[in-house]
Amino acid sequence: MNSWLLIGPVLLLLVVLLFVVYAIFFERKVIGWAQNRIGPNRVGYWGLLQTVADVLKLLFKEDVIPNKSDELLFRIAPIIAFVPSFAVLAVIPFSDSIRFSDFAIGLLYYMALSSITIIGILIGGWSSNNKYSLMGGMRSAAQMISYEIPLVMSVVGIVLSVGSLNLTEIVEAQKDVWFIVPQFVGFVVFLIAAISELNRCPFDLPEAESELVAGYHVEYSGFRFAFFMLTEYVYMFAMAALTTVLYLGGWNAPFGLTFIPPIIWFVLKFLLIVFFLFWLRATMPRLRADQLMQFSWKVLLPIALLNILLTCVLKEVPVIGAYF
Amino acid sequence: MLGLVKGLGVTLKNMTKPKVTYRYPDEPLLMPNRFRGIQHFDPEKCIVCNQCARICPTDCITLSGKKQPEKKGKVIDTYTINFETCILCDLCTEVCPTGAITMTNNYELAVYSRDELFKDLEWLNQNNTHIREEQSGNVAKRHGGKQ
Repeated sequence: MNSWLLIGPVLLLLVVLLFVVYAIFFERKVIGWAQNRIGPNRVGYWGLLQTVADVLKLLFKEDVIPNKSDELLFRIAPIIAFVPSFAVLAVIPFSDSIRFSDFAIGLLYYMALSSITIIGILIGGWSSNNKYSLMGGMRSAAQMISYEIPLVMSVVGIVLSVGSLNLTEIVEAQKDVWFIVPQFVGFVVFLIAAISELNRCPFDLPEAESELVAGYHVEYSGFRFAFFMLTEYVYMFAMAALTTVLYLGGWNAPFGLTFIPPIIWFVLKFLLIVFFLFWLRATMPRLRADQLMQFSWKVLLPIALLNILLTCVLKEVPVIGAYF
Repeated sequence: MLGLVKGLGVTLKNMTKPKVTYRYPDEPLLMPNRFRGIQHFDPEKCIVCNQCARICPTDCITLSGKKQPEKKGKVIDTYTINFETCILCDLCTEVCPTGAITMTNNYELAVYSRDELFKDLEWLNQNNTHIREEQSGNVAKRHGGKQ
């Protein structure tokens, strides 16, 4: 038991790193396909080693710390950003047997930890002493804090109907009907807010290449830049896993296809969400900065609140109430 | 709202469409026939009239001929195009009365040293692939038009 306590997280880290490497690769492939291109195909067979080569390049680069930057903050910012992104994975139940910790407030833990990353990004933007990175960091903090509220509010619907914040219990409650059906409004709000939390297209304002050069990590290079990049993709892993757990029934098999192992079902649903994120990035233009905040506060938040109200009301209706 | 779904549909459909990219460095890319590429030079046809060197707007052609012992006129001895300055404007091939210098569809001129950009008679003579086809017909037509 104790040895698993050590080996488990290391294995998870390896899996996550492998995912990140190939998520970046397939993101480029999918965007390439959507633009009638082939995508990376030069390094390794079918370009499979492209990201490995990119990461190696980053590791060999000089570790530049700008002269007028706040050196201590500049050094710790990537760490503050990365650690929570990996720590949130602890509560995700990957299948009925593969999980790391299973405590009563798993969902709250996820939401609380994931907001620490904002501090890392803000510190990174501030300590670089560069106007673009500062603006990127500010935008990022404003955006991630405002979208966290609809994100949490949309999940409240599920918490109300399950009566628990434990992610395992939430998955168990989806044995018959996945929450994507009764909580569809909540799902849409959650998905939009989640994409915004991930700073991904169409909400990638914090790293808008065309306006902010690259956002909060302009001054970062080499290994530290790799850490920010890693944070983003680990969050994508975490958010796709959370969406699977909350709305797509976790490891539950659809249509009674139980002969396929639960972990496979989890991975399939998870990959579907990840593909959707890539697909969305290949499709959507970026939102305007002034529309971004309005959309969060004036559209998403009221809809999320309405969803909570609807869940409460429908829970009391005799026949439909069983699904809520 | 429907526009978002429509947009997603467009990109999804695009993923299965044939790719529009070329495998360029792996497979050579053929240029259309009227492309102005690197010149091919045929010393047999050259009459050393010097017209190409005179019309050249960047003065990149240098040539010299030597006296023919039995016949009148000269034969070409050296012929060099400096591709550091050549703008591939096609004037030398248009002015050539015998079609000794012609355009090809080749375009790969990248080299590691500037010295390699001086292409001599032999190199230009061996550059004999993808020679522009319309040349011979056009020579006769142009002369007819002028008179």
